[in-house]
Amino acid sequence: MKLLIADDEPAVRALVHVTLEGDDYEILEAADGVEALEKARDESPRLVLLDIMMPRLDGLEVCRQLKADPDTSDIVVVMLTAQAQERDRDQGLAAGADDYFTKPFSPLALLNMVERVRHNQSGAD
Amino acid sequence: MRRLRVQLTVLLALLGLLVVAWGAAIFLGARDAARSSVSLQSTAERVDLLRRAVTGLSRDFVSMETSRRAYLLTGDKTAQLTHTRAEVEADGGFRQVRALSRRWQGLAPQVEQVADEYRAWVRAGHTELKAKERHGAMSDALMTAGGRADHHFQELWARQTNLEDRLAGSQRAYARSQDRTYEAAQTLAVRTALMLLAALVLLAIWLRRAVGAPADALRSASGRLAGGDLETPVTLGVENELGAVASDLETMRRRLAGRMEALERLRHLSAQVVGATSLQRLAEVVLTGLQPEIGATRAVLGAARPVGDLVLRALAGFPDPAVADDIVKADDEIRQVLPMATLRAGQVVGMADLDRVATSPALHELVARMGVASLALVPLLSRGRFLGVLALCWTERHPLDREQEALLGLAGNQIAGALEAALRLEEAERAAGEARAVFYAIADGVLLSDPYGRVTAMNRALEALTGWTEAEARGRPYAEVLPLATDQVGGPADLVSRYGRKVPVAVSSAPIFDLRGRVVGGVDVIRDVSREREIDEVKSALISTVSHELRTPLTLIHGFAELLVLRDMPVERQRSSAVEILDASRRLARLIDDLLSVSRMESGRLVLDPRPLDLAAVVERILSPFRAMAAKHTLRTKLPTSLPVVWGDPDKVEQILTNLVGNAIKYSPGGGEVLVTVELDGDTVQVSVRDQGIGMSPRDMGQLFEKFYRVDREEVRRTGGTGLGLYITKRLVEMHGGRLWAESWPGVGSVFRFTLPTSDELAGSGR
Repeated sequence: MKLLIADDEPAVRALVHVTLEGDDYEILEAADGVEALEKARDESPRLVLLDIMMPRLDGLEVCRQLKADPDTSDIVVVMLTAQAQERDRDQGLAAGADDYFTKPFSPLALLNMVERVRHNQSGAD
Repeated sequence: MRRLRVQLTVLLALLGLLVVAWGAAIFLGARDAARSSVSLQSTAERVDLLRRAVTGLSRDFVSMETSRRAYLLTGDKTAQLTHTRAEVEADGGFRQVRALSRRWQGLAPQVEQVADEYRAWVRAGHTELKAKERHGAMSDALMTAGGRADHHFQELWARQTNLEDRLAGSQRAYARSQDRTYEAAQTLAVRTALMLLAALVLLAIWLRRAVGAPADALRSASGRLAGGDLETPVTLGVENELGAVASDLETMRRRLAGRMEALERLRHLSAQVVGATSLQRLAEVVLTGLQPEIGATRAVLGAARPVGDLVLRALAGFPDPAVADDIVKADDEIRQVLPMATLRAGQVVGMADLDRVATSPALHELVARMGVASLALVPLLSRGRFLGVLALCWTERHPLDREQEALLGLAGNQIAGALEAALRLEEAERAAGEARAVFYAIADGVLLSDPYGRVTAMNRALEALTGWTEAEARGRPYAEVLPLATDQVGGPADLVSRYGRKVPVAVSSAPIFDLRGRVVGGVDVIRDVSREREIDEVKSALISTVSHELRTPLTLIHGFAELLVLRDMPVERQRSSAVEILDASRRLARLIDDLLSVSRMESGRLVLDPRPLDLAAVVERILSPFRAMAAKHTLRTKLPTSLPVVWGDPDKVEQILTNLVGNAIKYSPGGGEVLVTVELDGDTVQVSVRDQGIGMSPRDMGQLFEKFYRVDREEVRRTGGTGLGLYITKRLVEMHGGRLWAESWPGVGSVFRFTLPTSDELAGSGR
């Protein structure tokens, strides 16, 4: 399964890599919003993990654009942010995100969530 | 002044005498008339008797003549008898006539002439008779004798007739005389009555003048006094008892007029003191008003404080106002001699002899300084409340009389009312002044408006906020001066100033009520909250940044630690995970250090500990860990052979250099040379750190040294950082009295330079 991790922090991208390693995931990386949007459109991943605070284009805007585009609207978008205020979560959900992870997050919970998405997909196949 | 009584007595006595005289005149007149009438009557009767006697005599003469003739003719004896009888009767008649005529002297000779003739006639008759008898009838002798007798008879008759005529004349004269007597008595009576009448008229006129007119004048004068006319003087111009009454009335009038004048002055004083709004003015007005009444030329006004003691508030009439200081200085001594209990009871106290009252030397001196001999203390009580004392001073000795004391008591009431009003006004003005000062000095904008929403006042702060001056804004509608733009009702509002500047404000408003609860206006307090909003935004940004910066390393620590604990990983992966945890922990520690530094610097708790430094050694020391870590970079130094001693806090100077060298390495990801140069530049030492990294555009450099600022570029993002490093570095350099600046070219590299002083004269020593 193809998934995209968009975060300006390389160490966070590395953490996601290590977490999903060895389970047959094709992991794409993006360091800012614009890159994330481009890669999501080009590669059509099943799942996008989006950091909110990113250079050039923030995660909320990326999510909104993905959900607005019929080609990308069925990509599962999970917001991944250091901001824990309710306002941020509400904004994320309002932008069309499917789920929400607050930093610091549990890598195993992330793994579970990704597994669930893969099962839904294989079920649908 | 018994004159009127004496005059009246004398007049009445005179009047009595006049009446008596009148009566006497009438009585005597009547009596005289009666008497003279009686005497006349008897005289007339006697004349009448005489006339009758004379007439009888005449009849006798005729009878004698007739009988003689008859005898002669006839010789009749009867005739002779008759003749003799007649003769006797005539003799008797003569005696009677003689007796009666004796009263009138002029009559007697006439009677005697008649008697002589009679006797001659009788003799002639006798002779004739004898002749007849002797010669007989018809003889010559007879003829001759007869002729003689006839002649005598004729003579006698003539004389007799004369006498009769005279008697008749006398009788008529007596009758006339009696008439005259009555007339005289009547005339006397009438004259006396007229005189009495005249006397009565004169008496009436005198009474009218001496009593009636003055009494009328007194009546009208007393009527005028009763009617309140005290202007017209009471004068009578007579010097009797009524005059005395008039003079008493005049005295009374003068005193009443004096009282009225005093009352009028009091009223005037009252009107004047009401207008006196300051205590000084009050003292002056009171002195001016009372001076004509009582003669005092100086006044001291003391007001009672709530605790009860008196405080000197005003002087009037003193040539040297500095005497106030002397009075204040002698406060304790004065307090000892003031009869406060009497004054509090509302009693005016006169001190005629101040030298006797001033027992202590200090008071004696004060009295001499004041130049005062006597004084009167007038208590000022309003509605039973003791407000103060007015001391009226005389330069000469002046004992108070009761009238003046009463007047001062009355005046005290008037002055007390005015004093109370003046004190209240003073208090109100003070309070108003305070309120005004607060109003204008308060840092928030305050606007007062009338019930129709028009501006009545605004303070300086609001003038600055709105751009309107108070004078321009007064009377304008509230909304014009204070236009508020708000996105949502009740939300934060922006004030749009006259020149279009938008200021975020917080407005609180309240109505102003009068004593009866009616709204008489409104007050709006407009607070400029731009600073608060700025702080809010900064705080919000700080929290956001800090939370982001804290959570990212925490996420890494948490994530990798959880993977290490819960997942089997190859050894190589375990090691790299641990390195990630270590890096994240360092980042966390550095972030916390930076935050604490900023906090300490901003609160002023960061204190330098300056000492002489060997800068070359410091540079070498901080470079060694970088040399170990940075494989891609060449770290070089360029140090002069001799350096003056630099003053600085060793830890802080190390921190400055570490930050700059760290940044140089961090922002030259492609490696290259990092050159640290130390140069001597006048009194200062300049240190520069040059790299060959990514560099910055001038736009990026604008906020380079601001807190939490980070250049918005991927390469910068990727390196991580809090945006605090350069801010802290710059603050540290400035605390040392130095300067930090940067030059940079995108893609070429950057140079950061700072200076440090070479002496211990640190500009910002400690801060």
